[in-house]
Amino acid sequence: MPISILPPSPQEVPSHTDRYVSDSDEEMADAGDNDFTSSNSHSIVTPGETITSDPQWMRGHGTYIPPNSTTIISTLAGTLQKTNKLLSVTPLRARYAPEIGDLVVGRIVNVQAKKWMVDIGAAQLASLPLSAINLPGGILRRRTAVDELNIRTFFSEGDLLVAEVQMLHQDGGASLHTRSLKYGKLRNGLFTSLAGAGGGGAKRNGSGGVVRSRRQAFTLQTTAGEIDIVLGVNGYIFVSKHTITAGDEKDASITRLEESVSETLYSSENDVVPKDLMREIVRVGTLIRGLVLCSRSVDEEMVVRCYEVAVEMEAEENVMGDVLVGQGAKSIVENILLRIESGV
Amino acid sequence: MAPPPSLQVNLSPAELSFIRSSLAQTPPIRLDHAKGPKDFRSMRAECDVLPGANGSARIALEDGTEALVGVKAEVEKSQWRPVPGESARLTAAGEVTMLDVDDAADKDENTKGKGQNSWVEISVEVPGFRDDDALPVFLAAMLTETLLASGELKDRLYINNRFHWKLYVDVLLLSPLLSYPLSLLSMTTHLALLTTRLPALKSEKDEDPLFDDDWDASVQLYGKERQQIEKPPVIVLAMAVGSNIIFDPSKEELAVADAVLAVACTTSANSGGRIVSIRTVDPPSHLTPPGVPNAMNSATGGKVPTSSADALTQRELLSNSGVWTPPRGGMKRSLLSGIVKMVVEKGGVAEEVIEALQRVEIG
Repeated sequence: MPISILPPSPQEVPSHTDRYVSDSDEEMADAGDNDFTSSNSHSIVTPGETITSDPQWMRGHGTYIPPNSTTIISTLAGTLQKTNKLLSVTPLRARYAPEIGDLVVGRIVNVQAKKWMVDIGAAQLASLPLSAINLPGGILRRRTAVDELNIRTFFSEGDLLVAEVQMLHQDGGASLHTRSLKYGKLRNGLFTSLAGAGGGGAKRNGSGGVVRSRRQAFTLQTTAGEIDIVLGVNGYIFVSKHTITAGDEKDASITRLEESVSETLYSSENDVVPKDLMREIVRVGTLIRGLVLCSRSVDEEMVVRCYEVAVEMEAEENVMGDVLVGQGAKSIVENILLRIESGV
Repeated sequence: MAPPPSLQVNLSPAELSFIRSSLAQTPPIRLDHAKGPKDFRSMRAECDVLPGANGSARIALEDGTEALVGVKAEVEKSQWRPVPGESARLTAAGEVTMLDVDDAADKDENTKGKGQNSWVEISVEVPGFRDDDALPVFLAAMLTETLLASGELKDRLYINNRFHWKLYVDVLLLSPLLSYPLSLLSMTTHLALLTTRLPALKSEKDEDPLFDDDWDASVQLYGKERQQIEKPPVIVLAMAVGSNIIFDPSKEELAVADAVLAVACTTSANSGGRIVSIRTVDPPSHLTPPGVPNAMNSATGGKVPTSSADALTQRELLSNSGVWTPPRGGMKRSLLSGIVKMVVEKGGVAEEVIEALQRVEIG
């Protein structure tokens, strides 16, 4: 079946009842004793909507009080959160807000004299100074004028890299570094973006995206070989063939980092990837995209579980002889989730 | 036409090389791994979405690309133009009416060749682009060309010697440009034309046209009673990677295409699939920067070539497939015929697509 056209999916009608903070007395009493709750976590407010006109509430992020009034108005489309007497709106989709220590996947947008500008899905481009990368050459050395001239041999426009947020500037821009053997240029694989779903909001309102502060880079065992998966906190994901890095060895001390910088660190040439492994890499990429379309959060456990079920289901289909082809990523993952939930 | 800025690829050479090598496998591994080379991306469609239009349709792809098409018909006064053999008839007005055949069955015969290209007007709106930007103009020209190619649609707009229908087709891309939209816009236009209804004509012959104001009595532009006529054409995109042919490529897949063809096809009840027009589309892959092989990269222990001629020679000698080299040249003849065959054969892409769209209309 080369083409499948479905009818439009039915829209969920949001309930318009009792979504706002009411200003009745009993509500006030109610709000008094359940502190730190997000009671109306499923009610969605839109920009310009009046949340409440009761002066007892304080305005938080995503809200606004016009001059000479006590009305609190939403400035974002998102879910309403109440923390004691503080009202805030968490946006449904937001750009990634960098935090120090985050593992991110980025793409070089432009090259400047001593730094690269990197797209990490945030409101501003992040900068990666030449001084924040491991220079090749095998010896610990200062960066020289030659390195500045050869800046494009390390990273050039379009290149993908995995890095860590080192510093945040006053204006919210981030500065990255790749001074670890785990970081650097990405190759031998496939990039997937969950743009918009990134950021800390993902876990709270369950709109999908990468979960922060779990294991972000891991290796998946498949029948065809090992696959490296990097889940950037910013929602950029890279799935690739597993490479043995010097970072795996325990003795790679911080002082000898430069020595073990391998020759292929800045290579833009792919190794030979066997066909079976290539198929598995593409499969993982599809599954991750499907997870986001089903608005699930993406973390190591979920990806591994989905992958296992997907392989299992394919094996069953092959035995039964009714191979389902031509489904989209979303319907595949829907089937998988159905099985996971019914099986447990 | 060079690809517009938003369709230009910003992928790294390593990614391009990976995608290309996966698509060049037999069978090709597509980015959506469950899809075969002839599979289209799944989509959601509905028709008759605009109450004020004569016909309308909306199609949304899974990745979020969405198109809306409205068809509006207006009665317009025809410009008189000489037709060979008509000068004799014009001398005696009485004879003209006698020559006209009243039979409705013969009406199609009667209007044959009387339509004019200017009776169909298509405007394409793509967010972020001006009306006179290359992309919307090119897309509109492609859609117009395919609709007018067979001459059936414009002939059907003929009312009488003095009046005709003018068809305005407004094509809107509702989402940002996530992939090359030609095929999506064409399918949506097809669906909108299938549902287009025109008021039933009450007046006769060369009178000023008078229409039945009962909308239930309106006639479909592509109605059931005209089963023998061709459906409006649909454009499908096909791309070649190595010796593989892939239909309906996504943006990333398009970025590694050797060549891209836009094939406009149609079907009719008696003759199966038929190709109306073929155009090549300049793939964005031609503008991608080549990857630097390790042997030429000083950061990986290689030696930078001393002159550009040297660099060129070294690149030509590259046997390593892990380095991205932008494709050159066009499509091989055997691939071209392969694509044509896959589109028009019995149960081929043309029939599948048009049948699937037909099912949406029936509901």
